[in-house]
Amino acid sequence: MHSKATPIREDGIYHSFCGLVSVGWLYQKIKDSFFLILGTHTCAHLLQNTLGVMIFARPRFAVSLLEESDLSSSQPDIAAQIEEIKREHHPSVIFLLSSCTPEVMKVEFEGLAASVSTPEVPVLFVPASGLDYTFSQSEDSVLQALIPFCPPAPPDDKRVVFLGSVNDAIADDFSLEAARLGIPVAGFLPASHFTELPPIGPGTVIAPLQPYLHKTATQLRNERGCTVLSSLFPFGPDGTRRFWEDLAAQFGMRVDLSDREAAAWERIKHHTDLLRGKKVFFASDTLMELPLARFLKACGAEVVECSTPYINRRFHAAELAALEGVRLVEQANFHRQLRTIAETKPDLIISNIITTNPLVGQGTVAKWGTEYCFLPIHGWAGVNNLVTSFTRALQRHAQLDPLGSDPIWLTGMMPSSPGGVISLRS
Amino acid sequence: MRLAYWMYEGTAHHGVGRIANSMRNVHAVFHAPQGDDYVNAIFAMLDRTPNFPAMTTSVVSGTDLARGTIRLPDTLRQVEERVHPDLIVVVASCSTILLQENLEIAAQHAGLQCDVMVYDANPYRMQEIVAAESLFTDLVKRYAQPQPRTERPTVNILGPASLGFHARHDLISLRRMLKTLGLEINVVAPWGASIADLRRLPAAWLTIAPYRELGLRAATYLEEQFGVPALLDAPIGVQPTLRWIERLRELLAQAGAEIPMPPLTAFSLDGMSAPSAVPWFARTADMDSFSGKPAFVFGDATHVVGITRFLRDELGMPIAGAGTYVKHQADWVREQLTGYVDDLLVTDEFQTVANRIAELRPELVCGTQMERHTARRYDLNCMVISPPTHIENHLLAYRPFLGFDGADVIADEVYTTCTLGMEKHLIDLFGDAGLDLPEKREGVAVAEPAPVAPPVESSKPLAESPVAVAVTSAPAPSQTSPAAVTSAPAPVDPVWAADAEAMLKKVPFFVRGRVRGNVEKYARQRGHAVITAEVLLAAKEELGA
Repeated sequence: MHSKATPIREDGIYHSFCGLVSVGWLYQKIKDSFFLILGTHTCAHLLQNTLGVMIFARPRFAVSLLEESDLSSSQPDIAAQIEEIKREHHPSVIFLLSSCTPEVMKVEFEGLAASVSTPEVPVLFVPASGLDYTFSQSEDSVLQALIPFCPPAPPDDKRVVFLGSVNDAIADDFSLEAARLGIPVAGFLPASHFTELPPIGPGTVIAPLQPYLHKTATQLRNERGCTVLSSLFPFGPDGTRRFWEDLAAQFGMRVDLSDREAAAWERIKHHTDLLRGKKVFFASDTLMELPLARFLKACGAEVVECSTPYINRRFHAAELAALEGVRLVEQANFHRQLRTIAETKPDLIISNIITTNPLVGQGTVAKWGTEYCFLPIHGWAGVNNLVTSFTRALQRHAQLDPLGSDPIWLTGMMPSSPGGVISLRS
Repeated sequence: MRLAYWMYEGTAHHGVGRIANSMRNVHAVFHAPQGDDYVNAIFAMLDRTPNFPAMTTSVVSGTDLARGTIRLPDTLRQVEERVHPDLIVVVASCSTILLQENLEIAAQHAGLQCDVMVYDANPYRMQEIVAAESLFTDLVKRYAQPQPRTERPTVNILGPASLGFHARHDLISLRRMLKTLGLEINVVAPWGASIADLRRLPAAWLTIAPYRELGLRAATYLEEQFGVPALLDAPIGVQPTLRWIERLRELLAQAGAEIPMPPLTAFSLDGMSAPSAVPWFARTADMDSFSGKPAFVFGDATHVVGITRFLRDELGMPIAGAGTYVKHQADWVREQLTGYVDDLLVTDEFQTVANRIAELRPELVCGTQMERHTARRYDLNCMVISPPTHIENHLLAYRPFLGFDGADVIADEVYTTCTLGMEKHLIDLFGDAGLDLPEKREGVAVAEPAPVAPPVESSKPLAESPVAVAVTSAPAPSQTSPAAVTSAPAPVDPVWAADAEAMLKKVPFFVRGRVRGNVEKYARQRGHAVITAEVLLAAKEELGA
């Protein structure tokens, strides 16, 4: 299933978050976990500003802070901090995340984690440095670290394991849907607790729910000999149908979900009518861009560009095939994206948390792509959330009194642009 | 090494970003991993910038390190082509500074038309405040030109900056007062200033620099180098504002400009009222109860001093304690708060501040976003008076902290944050009075799970334990760990007897947590392992609960 779509690769001067941000949802997903980042003031400042939007009385993540005096020793001592964490939080597992500075210092993380790991409370190394990983990618590293703790399953244990952190409600949906189709479920990776990891063996079918987990999928295929489902990701009526039909086929079942898909499209017709013919530009950084763009294309929108940090030809094969004809860019250059936006005048830009407000300030309709990492948009139950997330931005902007190109309403809002902003669209 | 949950100050590169994003045609370029680009989001989100924040990350990836490539020259060229800045400030980050690359040479390699400044900010030695202040001072030193004074008396305002605490509002308040005095502004910087504006700074007759954190050193430099007098006080509160206006007129008189004082009503919003309602408000009967509401104040130097004095001098509130995370200003804060605070807390460790608050259980916490975490945990009233802030602190309406207008804003915030006097009387008299919800959970559990007090220990009847007393009363400098936060109320908790528990239930739910904490503290101090109804009554008598 090879795609003819040829991604353009640029120089990666774009705005994004650090991969460490994945901690924000993973610590909530794995309820008996603690996330310790070996890092600097910068990492702590990052977490504060990305996760500090909530008021925490007891966060289950922290930074083991490298200060100037610690830079000379190549192997920092974190034993005392691990003990503190155990005393305070009683976790079943501690993830030790790398960051840029210890990477540059060449800290030997595997050994460091092993030195403080115990059978009761394993300490698992997770490569997550901002030198190598972008937003959402480090979930892949966390799940890889969990693989050795998934019990082996015998070859005749033919069941599905859903891959990717989703909330309990979505997990229930997928379990129920699988039961309805007669697909046996071994569990989810990650599970809600470290102690509940699913058994995985040669009979296991890995069904990825999130598009940013190719390392884990590959490692499971290589180490456990399991099958990795190659299908669309379960977003939108089109993706969800393909996902379940292809998954059922792995269990020797021919399932036709065309009626189900048609009914789902029918339910959101009001929204797809609005999206039809609209020009959409993806400039976000969550690695969910391919399936989201594919869904919008299926809605009848014109995806003028789909930029995404990385594309994995094998893991994303089905999505790439479905996106044939769409301009795909990896490691985009942000300056060039702005020029393309000015030329193509998209009706909707899916960008990231850094660029969205400024893009709106330039007269475009833009929305946070970052939200898709937290929205329940999977499967049949997620269809409505998914489609309305796009149409809400369009409808809201249409409903508001037009700002026009009058910069008066932006005057004085930003000290470095005191006279308002020159519109990209004018 | 230590375990850190939250940070008071941002990083050095964030401080550089704040200066760049304040100024016109100045751009910061971070020679840093992709992950360090997050500071852009803080500006785009909290300041809701309608344009792209004036900073770009020149990405350094693991692959670049392996190959020895440096993308900085190319990024600099891209930035010049897109935004045409007058000045680009290049700064390394915590990881790339360890590479010890020569960024000067790399920057020269770009062959730019505009000025390029490679700013040597060691992120292990300086954080946001020092980095921003030093960069701004360097820029003023680099660009300010000797020149004649303006014909009419004018003033500079130094200090307001992007992401500054209520900076835009403070600036409006300062402008309003200066306008009322008939004074014109020469330059405001870094807020909205261009490089050309920095050149004009010495033309002013006076420089106003109200913040200890930013603008102070540049104002001092202008005074020393160009003889422009500097007014370094912060007009926080009504009396300080009156003194500030007097001082401003004195300094201008010494510079040869007699500024007539208009009637005070001219400073009000309508030009015909008292400039602030605080002096009358503080004397109203409603405010009597505030003399029994101790406050704890923590934040940057400027706001801690201003707010602590305001609460005591102008609202008549007792000060339970105060502290600052700006260590290099600690001596100044201590001196300013002589007679207000005996034991100033100087720390940038969140857990230490949390411990102090847990120990003091004040009626009001004036702090940063981080103290909101702590106040939530202990069910205390909290208002934010200093950065770091939350998006909720970035409101639209005019909410200055400086000047007469600022005094009203702060007093309103105190009033609406605290439990009020008449309300408290009614509660004391009638108990729940229908305010309680039937299934409401107890005390601290209203907001958060109770701090971890190991059940093993709390179930032990530890009568007359001297250890327990020692642990609770000692601030213990070694308690910088998160363990210390949760165990702050002491590892040994007195047990509640059924009769006392029943009595406690009659205390209104929203003060129950605090009463519980106070009574337990009392019991520990007196060595009561079991809190009986008798102990509770004695505690109420003693504490005036």
